[in-house]
Amino acid sequence: MTNEPQATSVLYKQTLIAGLWRENPVFRLLLGMCPTLAVTAAVKPALTMGLSVIFVLFCSNIVVSLMRNLLKPHLRILMFTLTISTFVTIADLFLKAFQPRMSEILGPYVPLIIVNCIIICRAEACASKNPLLTSIIDAIGMGIGFTLTLCVLAGIREILSTGAVWEIPILPAAFVPWTAMRMPVGAFLTLGLLLGLVNAITKRKA
Amino acid sequence: MPKIKYFFQQSWLLIISSFCFGLLIAITNAAWSPRIVQNKIDKLNRLMGGLLPKAHNFQLQTELEIESAKGKKVKSTIYKALSDAGECVGLAFNTSGPGFADRIELVVAVDDNFQNFAGYAVLASNETPGFGDQIKLPYYRNQFIAAPAAKLELVKTGNAEKIDPEIVAITGATVSSEAVLEIINNSITQIKDQMLKKGLISNDK
Repeated sequence: MTNEPQATSVLYKQTLIAGLWRENPVFRLLLGMCPTLAVTAAVKPALTMGLSVIFVLFCSNIVVSLMRNLLKPHLRILMFTLTISTFVTIADLFLKAFQPRMSEILGPYVPLIIVNCIIICRAEACASKNPLLTSIIDAIGMGIGFTLTLCVLAGIREILSTGAVWEIPILPAAFVPWTAMRMPVGAFLTLGLLLGLVNAITKRKA
Repeated sequence: MPKIKYFFQQSWLLIISSFCFGLLIAITNAAWSPRIVQNKIDKLNRLMGGLLPKAHNFQLQTELEIESAKGKKVKSTIYKALSDAGECVGLAFNTSGPGFADRIELVVAVDDNFQNFAGYAVLASNETPGFGDQIKLPYYRNQFIAAPAAKLELVKTGNAEKIDPEIVAITGATVSSEAVLEIINNSITQIKDQMLKKGLISNDK
């Protein structure tokens, strides 16, 4: 009985860190590949996309968790989509109003968050089956995991394609930019290499 | 009656949620739309300034209604570009039409006597990244600079640097290239005719 709060605390901690590594949406679950490949040419848009996903994931997990006992099984996906699209629309309007440049760069990829598998997956696998706090922690963990992954990918691509990170030059002027890294081929190449690296580390740990 | 009861039993949550979410979006939109509109105006001014660098400020001249190639009515606002000395250095107008993925909104600039293009810039588009969105790049846009302000023709191969009515399409984005050309061709002739009729420009220049 005395161990119950401790067990709950461990569960929350595990839920939070699961999204960072063990169940990382990009590296381990291979979800949300569309924005991962499309908006990681530079760190700024990648971070904006990551923060937008955190917002949508956070809000949709709260709503889905609160209504989980009222959901009809055959209408649940419809409810998830309705909830997610509401928060995506709000995120899109926010970017258009306060970050017009980022909204322009991200273009259709912000509205496309509606069909991002990570969010529907978390609504189905976690929020619709767990209480509010667990759903919030899951959203934060998964959202941060996704954002960090995008930023790592974008950081590598931005350095190699421009010699800069966050538009701040860090490589010497003699560096010849790899233009291909800004293009889709750069996204596939970087993602493939990082997935290989993550697999190698996981196998070594096992 | 039992059918209606069953319908509401099954879908009450969906109906209430749709209403609440719709209200939430409406409130958010009402709160932020003035800012979004202002951002669009700022962008339009910035783009027009880029197309007509001699312009010091832009004066709203008139609003015209043109018909898109698919018969849809499109509103176009005409701005007069004025230099420091208050002289007209060109005209700019916004126009739109269907693109490959979504509507393409353009701002087009012409010289003060509507004889040659000063260029175009993309106000809004959702064309395929890496392909159709190349309509924003100088390779395609520069072909319009100084081209005659009349119907232009799209060609698949040719000299993109030559100033003539022939515009070389973007490889891999023919539909988007065609869409831009169609929007410009369609609006330039109609706007020119309407402005001539209204006496806002003259034929003799």
